[in-house]
Amino acid sequence: MRNLKLGIILMAFCVISAGLLAFVYLLTSPRIEREAQLSLERSKSEVLGGQKGWAVLVKPRGYGGPIEMLVGIDTQGRVTGVKILNHRETVGLGAKIVDPKFLNQFKGKTNADALEPKKDIEAITGATISSRAVCAGVKEALKKK
Amino acid sequence: MSLWRDFNAGIVRENPVLRLMIGLCPVLAVSNNALNALGMSVAVAFVLTCSNLVVAAIRKIVPDEIRIPIFIIVISTFVTISDYVMHAYFPEIHKALGVFVPLIVVNCIILGRAEAFAYRNPVLNAVLDGLGMSLGFGLALVSIGVVREVLGAGSIFGLQLFNPAVAATVMVLPPGAFITIGFLMAGLNKLENKVR
Repeated sequence: MRNLKLGIILMAFCVISAGLLAFVYLLTSPRIEREAQLSLERSKSEVLGGQKGWAVLVKPRGYGGPIEMLVGIDTQGRVTGVKILNHRETVGLGAKIVDPKFLNQFKGKTNADALEPKKDIEAITGATISSRAVCAGVKEALKKK
Repeated sequence: MSLWRDFNAGIVRENPVLRLMIGLCPVLAVSNNALNALGMSVAVAFVLTCSNLVVAAIRKIVPDEIRIPIFIIVISTFVTISDYVMHAYFPEIHKALGVFVPLIVVNCIILGRAEAFAYRNPVLNAVLDGLGMSLGFGLALVSIGVVREVLGAGSIFGLQLFNPAVAATVMVLPPGAFITIGFLMAGLNKLENKVR
């Protein structure tokens, strides 16, 4: 009997908790979804810089896992912009791939360019693997579109 | 008087991070810059205060044998609420803190205070204990975050102070967290010895 009573008390707490969470979920989920949608739209127009073209999503392998990035390409096949959406590179080293100084180097590049560190791209000091991954991502996007 | 004592215990005398040395995992992980540290502190403060309040309020109807699972249900409910709310209203900070928000569930500070304090004290004392402990946790976390960000990235709350090229990158990497915590603990001990 004692065990049954304990079980029922525990269940009662679970039910209250579940009800409360369902309520908060209903309240916040529309906003979470809208926020995700908006941020993707914003990123798209950001990499295209107002020009017509494609925004290609690629996930090259970085040092700490896949780097999720968006590459904007205009109708002539030139890169208009690159934005890193998600990454797990080392803080202070590889994480600098989000730096505009690094990313702006890709603007105007086409399939004909080498797109390699030490050739036409200046890599981030101490983060060769991350820099190379971003280059590979841009290359892949140019082939994909 | 005892209310005031319950409140200020967590700030210096029993500071969870620098004194009791509990809940260090998120402290090491999210103190690489001041803003992340602040976001984490606010989330922990919310969860700790609410769970202390609820645990103290229900302490008379909770049977001893199942108090731990019930604490966990209460804590995880508040953690999930703060996770949803952060995701909806502060998506940037939510993204930066990542998995460490859900991991507040297993933060020993919160279960520790529920078991050691809230379960044995009236609601008001428990809430004040929660606020004091959160403040102590937040102060420690934000000071570590500020030190690491200034020394490691040359900025404070994202505001660039000097050229990051001369900053010591190691400070924003994991070793920097251990070094900073060590110095802060030593400093606090020294201060306390002097006062005595």
